[in-house]
Amino acid sequence: MGRYRVTHDGKEIEVVAQKLQGKLWFHLNGETFVYEPVSEKRQSKSSGTTNPELIEAPMPGKILRVEVKPGDTVKVGQVLIVMEAMKMEYSLAAAIDASIIEIGCKVGEQVKLGQMLVRLKG
Amino acid sequence: MNKIQKIAIANRGEVAVRIIRACQELGLETVLLCSEADHTSMAARTADETFLIGGSPSSESYLNIENNIRGAIASGADAVHPGFGFLSENADFAKACENERLVFIGPSADSIRLFGDKISAKNLVEKIGGPLIPGYSGDDQSVEKITKEAERIGFPVIVKATAGGGGRGLKVARTSADLKNAVESAQREAGSAFGSSKIFLEKYLDSAKHIEVQIFGDASGKIHHLFERDCSVQRRHQKIIEEATSSLKRELSEKIVAAAVKIASAAKYRGAGTVEFLVQDNQFYFMEMNTRLQVEHPVTEMVMGVDLVKAQIMTAMGQALSWPDTMEPRGHAIECRLYAEDPFKGGIPSTGRLGFTHFPDGPFRRFDVGFEEGDEITAYYDPMIAKLIVWDETRIRAIQKMKRVLNDTIIFGVQTNIPLLKKIFSHPEFIDGSMTTQFFEKHFAKALDAQSLVNDDLKIAEELYRKVGEAKAGSSTGAASLPNPWFHSWEAN
Repeated sequence: MGRYRVTHDGKEIEVVAQKLQGKLWFHLNGETFVYEPVSEKRQSKSSGTTNPELIEAPMPGKILRVEVKPGDTVKVGQVLIVMEAMKMEYSLAAAIDASIIEIGCKVGEQVKLGQMLVRLKG
Repeated sequence: MNKIQKIAIANRGEVAVRIIRACQELGLETVLLCSEADHTSMAARTADETFLIGGSPSSESYLNIENNIRGAIASGADAVHPGFGFLSENADFAKACENERLVFIGPSADSIRLFGDKISAKNLVEKIGGPLIPGYSGDDQSVEKITKEAERIGFPVIVKATAGGGGRGLKVARTSADLKNAVESAQREAGSAFGSSKIFLEKYLDSAKHIEVQIFGDASGKIHHLFERDCSVQRRHQKIIEEATSSLKRELSEKIVAAAVKIASAAKYRGAGTVEFLVQDNQFYFMEMNTRLQVEHPVTEMVMGVDLVKAQIMTAMGQALSWPDTMEPRGHAIECRLYAEDPFKGGIPSTGRLGFTHFPDGPFRRFDVGFEEGDEITAYYDPMIAKLIVWDETRIRAIQKMKRVLNDTIIFGVQTNIPLLKKIFSHPEFIDGSMTTQFFEKHFAKALDAQSLVNDDLKIAEELYRKVGEAKAGSSTGAASLPNPWFHSWEAN
């Protein structure tokens, strides 16, 4: 953590900032921001994937239900996985009509952020 | 009188730290019964000793009765404080402590069982003429009889399947014209879903406040009350903001407090407990009694000038409290729960290692913190990082103070609900005190709009990004990693 002098609206102010894992955290005017330059974002491995044929864990947690098996065909919006993180339940649904290729987790398993949970083929 | 020298804390996070500090001030030794994930946590660092009771999932540690009992015995504790959540309202745990001659810091196993069972709790309240939500659960299921009962109860009413659950067979009727349809469709749904078409009626409270009374049974058997709290700001039945006292008219709150004392007295209750009510249209209805310390106990402590955790420990020792016979609340206190969650993504948990943290100290600001820089917020447990508590002479001043505190609190490394809390504290319905349990869903169901970094702010971000060096991975930074000059000069001598 460090304190830095910056110019804001023509005034010099002090900002608290810290870089953690390539991201800059800073507190400005009562608000905390996280900043990562666009160029860095592209290079860094993103956990929130936009590939509809791959469902990854959006957060670490425990798998409560696996609603599909390889070979199944699913429709857009159909729930594939139900997971629990911090006492709350989250459903992961298919973003496309597809068939299930592979399941990367089982019920009761504690999964890591970004772990492959379901592979689909549209 | 029970002799207590060493207390085992069967909990984690901020409440464990809170209890450990109370013990230390009373000159008692502490041992934290903790999971693998927590053995280097702030609570573990604060306790005199730690004892590993199992794996990170709560089922292997904090919810495992045998492991907690074994840990307490092995570490030589003579009492157990269960905190809140986990095993705090588990009668079997209280009983197991008793069997092993460990003092359970809480009510008797019988009291926990009595209030833990919805039916026996309601029976007790009914017996003493306490306020239950009016309803009808008779055998005559004809539409005529049910309509008559609904008119007696007063609309709107909610029709529920007796064998139900999960919201099925649940209908709200606002007029007697609605009722026929609601009853018939609820009976049909209940019949096909649960094999029994039996339904019951309850008054539907669509604009109720959550009001709860802090009560305390001391070692002599006297039931004290410490006035009421308003915890109407809830998300999916989970409280987010709590205050003491409420904005109810004194005449009404006095009746509620008296009802709570009556309920606790009837159960010969010992220790800290909370009687929860729903309040609507100047009527109040018993919901449940929590047989433990509550998350929101600090707001009561702030307005009453008491220490509830120390009172629990004194009572467990069989010692008298030093409270005066009559106590009056002073000023207003507000607490909000600081969660590791992303308010821009609808509140999904945000896990990770905490970076720099700063809690802006000042008069009548209290921070019950469970995690510091370098600590990990894991997906195993509740994501509460800390509780922010403020006191001021009036409610509006307390709100102003809390808004300032939220502006100046800094948490790096994980997203927090601070932006959401700030919006709540600026909402007119919160400011005028009229918010009900529907408040959050009505106004804050949607995720907040993402922050935008533009103009000067973006320039500052870019400039800082170039200037600021990467914090060393895995180690805490800032003041904690600076060499301690006193330590070195001591060594040099």
